[in-house]
Amino acid sequence: MIAPGWAIEGVGLTRRFGGFAALDGVSIAVPPGEIRGLIGPNGAGKSTLMDVLSGRAQSWSGTVRLGGVDISRLTAVERRRAGLARSFQRTNIFPDLGIGEQIRLAAATAERDNSEEVMAELGLAALADRRAADVSYGDQRRLDLALALVGRPRVLLLDEPAAGLSMSESLTLAGILRDLAGRWGVTVLLVEHDMDVIFSICSRVTVLHLGKILADGTPDEIRRVPEVVTAYLGSTVE
Amino acid sequence: MTSASVPAAAAARRPAGRGYGFVAGLVAVAAIGSALPLLVGSALFLTLMTQAAINAILATGVGFLVRQNGSVSFGHAAFFGIAAYVVALTLKHAVMPAELAAIIAILLPTVLAFALGLVIVRIVGVAFSMLTLAVAQALYELLLKWRELANGDDGMAIAFPARVFGVDMATFQQPHSMFLICWLILMAVILGLWLLARSRFGTLTLAIRENEERARFIGYTTVVPRALIYAVSAAVAALGGLLFVLYNGFVSPGTLHWSLSGEALIMAIIGGPRLVWGPALGAVIFFFIKNAAGDFTDHWPAVIGTVLILVTVLMPRGVGGMLVRLAGRVGGRRSS
Amino acid sequence: MLINILNGLVYGGLLYILAVGLVLIFGLRRVVNFAHGSLFMVGGYVAFAVAAYGGFWLALVVSVAVLAVLGVVLDRLVFRPLQHEDPIATVLVTFGLLLVLEDVVKTIWGKDFLSMPTPTALAGTVTIAGEIFPVYRLMVILVAVLVAAGLTLWLRASRIGLYVRASSVDPVTTGMQGVDTDRVSAVVVAIGAGLAGLSGTIAAPLMALSPSMGSFILIDSFIVVVVGGLGSFSGAFLAALLIGQVHNFGVVYIPWASSMIPFLLMVGVLIWRPTGFAGGRA
Repeated sequence: MIAPGWAIEGVGLTRRFGGFAALDGVSIAVPPGEIRGLIGPNGAGKSTLMDVLSGRAQSWSGTVRLGGVDISRLTAVERRRAGLARSFQRTNIFPDLGIGEQIRLAAATAERDNSEEVMAELGLAALADRRAADVSYGDQRRLDLALALVGRPRVLLLDEPAAGLSMSESLTLAGILRDLAGRWGVTVLLVEHDMDVIFSICSRVTVLHLGKILADGTPDEIRRVPEVVTAYLGSTVE
Repeated sequence: MTSASVPAAAAARRPAGRGYGFVAGLVAVAAIGSALPLLVGSALFLTLMTQAAINAILATGVGFLVRQNGSVSFGHAAFFGIAAYVVALTLKHAVMPAELAAIIAILLPTVLAFALGLVIVRIVGVAFSMLTLAVAQALYELLLKWRELANGDDGMAIAFPARVFGVDMATFQQPHSMFLICWLILMAVILGLWLLARSRFGTLTLAIRENEERARFIGYTTVVPRALIYAVSAAVAALGGLLFVLYNGFVSPGTLHWSLSGEALIMAIIGGPRLVWGPALGAVIFFFIKNAAGDFTDHWPAVIGTVLILVTVLMPRGVGGMLVRLAGRVGGRRSS
Repeated sequence: MLINILNGLVYGGLLYILAVGLVLIFGLRRVVNFAHGSLFMVGGYVAFAVAAYGGFWLALVVSVAVLAVLGVVLDRLVFRPLQHEDPIATVLVTFGLLLVLEDVVKTIWGKDFLSMPTPTALAGTVTIAGEIFPVYRLMVILVAVLVAAGLTLWLRASRIGLYVRASSVDPVTTGMQGVDTDRVSAVVVAIGAGLAGLSGTIAAPLMALSPSMGSFILIDSFIVVVVGGLGSFSGAFLAALLIGQVHNFGVVYIPWASSMIPFLLMVGVLIWRPTGFAGGRA
C-alpha cells in the first residue's frame, strides 16, 4: 500500500476488552476527498474504530496514519491539531456556552478562523448568541457537527451525526455534508445507521462485523453482498 | 457541573455582553464602600467590615475556582495561611525586606498551587474536594506540630518595619484606613477576575468545566488551563492572607485550618459562585449574620451550618443569583 | 517493631470500618458524605453515654442501632431528595450537617475531652513475641477483620449486595434493572452509618472523646477512599491497612511530620495512578 495516497489510514487495528476483541486487526484506508460510509450491526466495532482513529481509546495496537504520517502515538488533542476532527454519537457540546462562543473557541486552534462561514453554512448564524442548552435537538446536532468541522480539518470522523433526527432533517444534513466536503476537500469517515444517508452521499462503504471487515465496496456492490444483507441490512436496526 | 436542565437560565451568563453595566456597578460599590469610614464612626463596625473584606477576597478566590473549573475546594485556607506564614517567617529570620516578603507571600502559594493543580485537577467532582481538604489539613498539622519552625499553636507575632511599601504600618493596622485598602483591593480583584473570565482563556476553562472530553476533541489540552485557574484562585486567597497578616500583625495555624476554608466556601455558596462578585457579597452577608447572631455566637457553627443547608437546597445560585434574576425580571438583563 | 505494626493495624482497622461506609454510600449514590466523621463522633458519644449505665457491650449495640437509624433519616432527608442534583450539593449539605452535629454534641457533652473505660472483660494484656499488648486492641483488629469478611459475604451473596456491587461499577445500567433503589439505598446508608457508629464506639476507649474527633479521622478516611480508588471495597481495605501503618510509623518516628506522610503517599499514588489502587472510575 502506498501510504501518501491516503488521507486517513488504519493498519492492523486491534482493541481488546478482556478476552473480547472489539476490533480484530482492522485495516482501512480512505483516499483524500472521499466520503466513506462505515456500517455494521451494533457491537460491530464502529465506535471503537472511531475511538482508536481519533485518539480516544486508551489501549490498542496497530498504526494510524494521517496523510501518510504516523500519528499512532499522538493524543486526541494533537490529532485534532494535526487536522483530524470528530463528532460523537451522543450530542457532545458545551451546554452553558453560547453557540457562537464555542464554535469560535474550536476555530481558535486552527490556522484560519472560519467560524462565521461554518455557522452560516450550517444554519447556526441566527443562533450565535443563544445558549447551547436552550436550542432544539436538531440545532444541537448541527452545533456538534460545526465543532468538528470548524477550522477545516483534513479528515472528519462522524459518529452517527443524524442520530435522533427526522428523515427530512437527516437528508438535509447529508446534503450539507456532501456539499461542504466537496467544496472544502474534507475526507469523511461516516458511521451511520440511516442507510438512506449512507447510500446517498458515500462513494464507498466499509462493513464491519464482529470487529472485522466483512466487505468493502461501492454502495451498489455492498447491497449485493449476501453476508451484508444477512448480517446487517436484514438485522434489526437500533 | 453540567447544568443543562437548570431552568434558571435567566441567571446564566450572557455570552459576549457589553459589560459597561458591570464596570459601572463595580465603581459605584467601590465608591460607596470607600465612603463608609467617613460616614460611620464606629471602629467596631469598621473592624467587622475589614474582616469581611479580607475574607471576601479569600471567598472570591474559592468562588472563582467553582465558577471556572466547577471544583469545590475545602482547603483554600492553606494558601491564605502560607502567605501569612511566609511573611511571618521571613521577617522573623530577617532574610529579606518586608516588600519582597510580601511579593513572595503571593508567588509561593501560586506556584505551589499550580504544581499541585497539575496532579489534582485530573480528579473530578467530590474526590477533588476530599483531596483539597486532606492537603490543607496536612499543612495545618505540620505548622501545628513543627514547633521549632513556627511556634505551634501559640502562633507568631510579626515585627514589621515602621514602613512597608512606603506606607506607615499604622495605616495597615487601623480599621479606618485598612478597610479602605482591603475594599479597593477586593474591587480590583473582582474586576481582574471578571476580565479574565471574559477572555478567551476564561471561555476555554468554562468549556472544559462543561465538557472536558469535547474540549480535548476541539484541540485543547485540559490539565494546564485548569491548573492555571487553580493557581489564580490560590493567588487571590494568598492576597487575602497577606492583607490579614498586615492588619493583624499576628499569625497562628488557625489561618490554615479547614474551618476557615469551610467558611470561605460557605460565603461563596451564600453569595453565588457562578457570579464573580457573588462570593464577596456572600462574605458581607456572612459577617452580618455573624454580628446579628450576637449572644448566639456560642452556637455559630450550627447557625452557619443551617444557613449553608438552606441556601444549597433553596437557592442553588445563591443570593447573588437571585438578585440577578430579580433584576432581570424587573428591567432589562444584566450581565454577570 | 511488632507492636508498632499491631498499633498500625488497630488504626487501619478503625479507618477501614469508617471508610468502607463512605465507599458503600459512594458506590450507590455517587456522593460523598462529609458528615461521616461526625457520625463516627456521635457514635462515640452515644456509646459513652450508654456505657455509663449499661456497660460497654450494651453501648456497642445501642450506638450501632442509633447510628443506623440516623443513617435511614439521612438517606430520606438528604441523599434521596438531592439525588438528581449535582453531587456537590450533597457535599455542601452534609458539610452543613457536620457543623450542626458538632455543635449539638458540644452543647450536650461540652468541649472537654471525655474518656471511656476499656470494658473489663478485655482490660488485660497479652504477651506477643516478648512484648506486651492490650487485649482490647487485638479485639479492634478482630472486629475490623470480621467487618471486612461479613461485608464481602454480604456483597457476594445477598441481592442487595449484588446490586450495590453492580451499581458501584456502572450506576446507569444498574438503575434500569427494576430494583427498588430507595429501599436499597436506605439499607446501604443505614449500614454505612451503623459502621461509623461501630468504629466510633470501639475507638472511644482508645482515644479521648471530643466534638472535633470526627474531622480528624474523616480526613484520613478520605485519603483511604481516594488512594483505594473511589468506590472500591478491596482498594479501601488495602489503603486502610497501608495508611494505618504509615500513620503509626510517622507518629512514632517523625512526629512533627506525621500528618504529611499519608498526604504525600496519596499524592504519590495519584501521580502513579490517578484513579487509585483499584483504578476504577474517578
